[in-house]
Amino acid sequence: MTTKTMTKDKISVAAVRRLSKRYNEPEWLRFARLMAWETFESLPWPTYKEETWRRTRLTGFKLEDYRLPAVDAALLPSRGALPEHLQQELAQIDSAGVLILQDGALIYRELDAALAQKGVIFTDLRGALAENVELVQVHLSALVRARENKFAALHYALWQNGAFLYVPRNVAIEKPLQVLIVQGEGLAGFHHSLLVGEENSEAVVVEDFVGSRQGMSDSVAEVFVHQSARMHYLRLQNLDKTAWNFATQRASVGRNALYRQLQASWGGKLSKVWIDLEMDEPGGHGELLGLYFPRDRQHLDHHTNQNHKEPRCTSDLLFKGALEDHARSVYQGMIHVMHGAQRTDAYQKNDNLILSDHARADSIPGLEIEADDVRCTHGATSAKVPEEYIFYLMARGLSRQTAKRMIVQGFFEEVINRVPVPGVRAKLETEIAHRVGIE
Amino acid sequence: MTATLEVKDLHASVEGKEILKGVNLTIRQGEVHALMGPNGSGKSTLGYVIAGHPHYEVTGGDILFNGESILDLAPDERAKLGIFLAFQYPVAIPGVSFANFLRAAVSSVRGYKDRAKEEMARTGQLREVGSELMPMREFRQELFEKMDRYNVDRAFARRYLNDGFSGGEKKRGEVLQMAMLEPKIAILDESDSGLDIDALRVVSDGINKLVAGGMGALLITHYQRILDYVKPEKVSVFYDGRVVLTGGPEVAEMLEEKGYGWIENHLAELAASPAQQ
Ligand SMILES: Nc1ncnc2c1ncn2[C@@H]1O[C@H](COP(=O)(O)OP(=O)(O)OP(=O)(O)O)[C@@H](O)[C@H]1O
Ligand SMILES: [Mg+2]
Repeated sequence: MTTKTMTKDKISVAAVRRLSKRYNEPEWLRFARLMAWETFESLPWPTYKEETWRRTRLTGFKLEDYRLPAVDAALLPSRGALPEHLQQELAQIDSAGVLILQDGALIYRELDAALAQKGVIFTDLRGALAENVELVQVHLSALVRARENKFAALHYALWQNGAFLYVPRNVAIEKPLQVLIVQGEGLAGFHHSLLVGEENSEAVVVEDFVGSRQGMSDSVAEVFVHQSARMHYLRLQNLDKTAWNFATQRASVGRNALYRQLQASWGGKLSKVWIDLEMDEPGGHGELLGLYFPRDRQHLDHHTNQNHKEPRCTSDLLFKGALEDHARSVYQGMIHVMHGAQRTDAYQKNDNLILSDHARADSIPGLEIEADDVRCTHGATSAKVPEEYIFYLMARGLSRQTAKRMIVQGFFEEVINRVPVPGVRAKLETEIAHRVGIE
Repeated sequence: MTATLEVKDLHASVEGKEILKGVNLTIRQGEVHALMGPNGSGKSTLGYVIAGHPHYEVTGGDILFNGESILDLAPDERAKLGIFLAFQYPVAIPGVSFANFLRAAVSSVRGYKDRAKEEMARTGQLREVGSELMPMREFRQELFEKMDRYNVDRAFARRYLNDGFSGGEKKRGEVLQMAMLEPKIAILDESDSGLDIDALRVVSDGINKLVAGGMGALLITHYQRILDYVKPEKVSVFYDGRVVLTGGPEVAEMLEEKGYGWIENHLAELAASPAQQ
């Protein structure tokens, strides 16, 4: 890889202008960025008075501490040209396509030629903007708006690049598509994911965030799952434990469509993630899976909404977390069943396994139901590893450490066995084993 | 050398309440020793204390394995010596597959793990993933062979440990684990309860095979029935935290006939003639 010294840029309205100019962006986009910046400036910084921020404080977060990357790294011609660790990362999953973005620059891309032939577009957002501007224009910001929260506004002012997937009607992509987002030290990253599955299409996307030491990440994901389409979106947040992470994610699920998302949260000094599932058409099925395992003084916060607007939809949420050391987690979830969304079947469950006397998990599940013919279930649990389990396993010869590891892995199994990609399951299992500690 | 487990004047309490009040008992390899006693008399507690359950506090006496005290050993170290407890109520552990768990247990008890650690210390090299485990092929072969022999459905291997197992399935699972771990001394806590006739025969056959192979068993039971299949050399009666009488198979028959009331009425006499080992 070419190692150029990057000149870095402060976060300001001037930076928004420079960014837009540097990429020679169309007027509508430059305008959208400046509007977003205005929105960002007009919104107050969150305080504990807002329900979503009651248990997560931004103390110590200063936007001035972060710089924007100024120079784009070059596109590399082959896997062999990538650094060893990225090659290894890619090798873990047998994929039909790959995108690697480093600080907003596309440094590597692969796509199965047969899929490209069928009209599949899998490229970075800048590439899509250049070649398929209408598709981008229609979808960008259609689900997540700048005014939604201060971080979404900042994101829309400053997003550098992202992943763009378009799967045409009736096209099924069997193997997963892999996106790697690599963020540099001390930088602010604004990654945008835009995934579109047209009618009766099928795709699995694995997106992996790494790096961001002493940095921040402020991402947005918008997923469109049209009629009878099947989309799986697996997001692995593997950022450095010194990073601040903010993410706003929303999926719109069409008629009789299936959408399944996994959020695996490992890294971050503090992480605040909003995940919304919009059951926008009748008969859709949505699943939200979550897995988190903070340690030291990490603070991981997930806030979910399952919004049922139309009849006969099902949604199923399962978030499981284990906590070590002085870690904190917050799970806040709401199932909204709106007027007219009859025969909704919605489920929401959050389980926490507390591995240290100093760790704490808050869980606030919720229901808001305006229709009468519905079935909704929700629940939350928080428990320590039962001593009876440990004793049983030790009585069979396992050390305390191995016993604990097996119990924790077993706890997460319910989530992991619903992940459709073997390579991702293996990665999750390895990460869990490392966290509990292998002797 | 045949291994022996000796319990000597053992006292133990839980939450400040004394449950074991001076237990004396010896279990030898190759021998079946039945232990019978009323509900709540402390039989399971004895099993837990021998296996090293941290909840119970030993307040007096000793437990010797081949003459050496095991009181300071953690439960896994006792298991590695060859002591096994088949639980009266095995716990269900969701998400942990029977096969994965058992492979880890067998690997630990047979020393794969310790050897891998030694190897690493000697060569200074990081060991390969899985090197602390018994090779998968060998393990599977042995597991399936024993599953067939002990009449346990092969589908159990993939199921989560005791999770959703019926009462009888759990008991058979315990005996299968015992067959895989090949202990020197096993405490079987009501392994016969809740079994149908066929399962009782399977479990009894299993125990007999292991005893023939040299295992010593402390068979805790409420019923004469299993003793028709598994012939004990000795029968002890447990009452209020102590062994009050030890004899041959005739003791079980006598109990069946007279009940624990008889024991209660003759406690003073029994105390005067201390239990024979
Ligand atoms: N963890 C505990 N906390 C409090 N009391 C306990 C505990 N464990 C055992 N006990 C008490 O100790 C006594 C002996 O119990 P134990 O289970 O050893 O009896 P047992 O002889 O195995 O009975 P059973 O034939 O019904 O299985 C009982 O009174 C029981 O309530
Ligand atoms: Mg008992």
